[in-house]
Amino acid sequence: MQTTATINAPARTRSALGSLGWIWQVITGAALVPLAGLHMIAQHFMVEGGLRGFDQVQAYLSNPIVWPIELLFLASVVSHALLGVRAVLVDLGPSPRVARLLDTVLVIVGIASVAYGAWLTYAIVSAA
Amino acid sequence: MSLHSTNRARPRKPLQWIDVRNRRTGMWAFALNRVTGLGLVVYLFLHFVMLSQLFVGRAAWDSFVALARSPLVLAFDVVLFAGLIIHGLNGFRVALNGFGLGVRQQKAIFYGLMAVGAVLLAASTVLIFTI
Repeated sequence: MQTTATINAPARTRSALGSLGWIWQVITGAALVPLAGLHMIAQHFMVEGGLRGFDQVQAYLSNPIVWPIELLFLASVVSHALLGVRAVLVDLGPSPRVARLLDTVLVIVGIASVAYGAWLTYAIVSAA
Repeated sequence: MSLHSTNRARPRKPLQWIDVRNRRTGMWAFALNRVTGLGLVVYLFLHFVMLSQLFVGRAAWDSFVALARSPLVLAFDVVLFAGLIIHGLNGFRVALNGFGLGVRQQKAIFYGLMAVGAVLLAASTVLIFTI
């Protein structure tokens, strides 16, 4: 029996990234509920006007509890998003070579995105 | 026809999932999850670009914040929340089914979760325009 879930399942994938990708997407998807919820509440719903001003962002990210949570959120959302992009692109039926290239590109984009977020957080906090 | 039976046949063409004409609930749910997911990926990278204003400096960020409080951007936020809620709740159903839970009830679960999503979206819309 094939379900909507098994359409995304690892059966059709061709690499180690694909074999664990679906499980990782479920794990990060579950993690994103509290992480994105906390991000939305703290960054938007608890702030008058819905967005923090520059000083408020600095003060918030300077909290030693907050920035590790925000980085965990960033890593979760980036990996979840890029695995989703991979699932859509793998459906196009790429050759094994193209699929491996795709995995490499997505891993690089993922690492670069998390590194950018970490660097931006560091730059904002250190400028305080 | 149940959700799983509508998804039994794999698309003949790679992008056939986009075309939901004459399809049943399962294909709509699948397409909805992908469309919202791709939209959220685009938003994620746009968000990174917007956050770069923090690095430019206080004036750049604060002028961006002023722009983000305009009614047009707030309306866009409602669309964003709709995508987040639909993708999150539909993803919950996909994960449940992936572990073999609620497969026979997935059509009812889908409609139930979308009803919950409608309530959440209504509450979010009120919050977005009243904060």
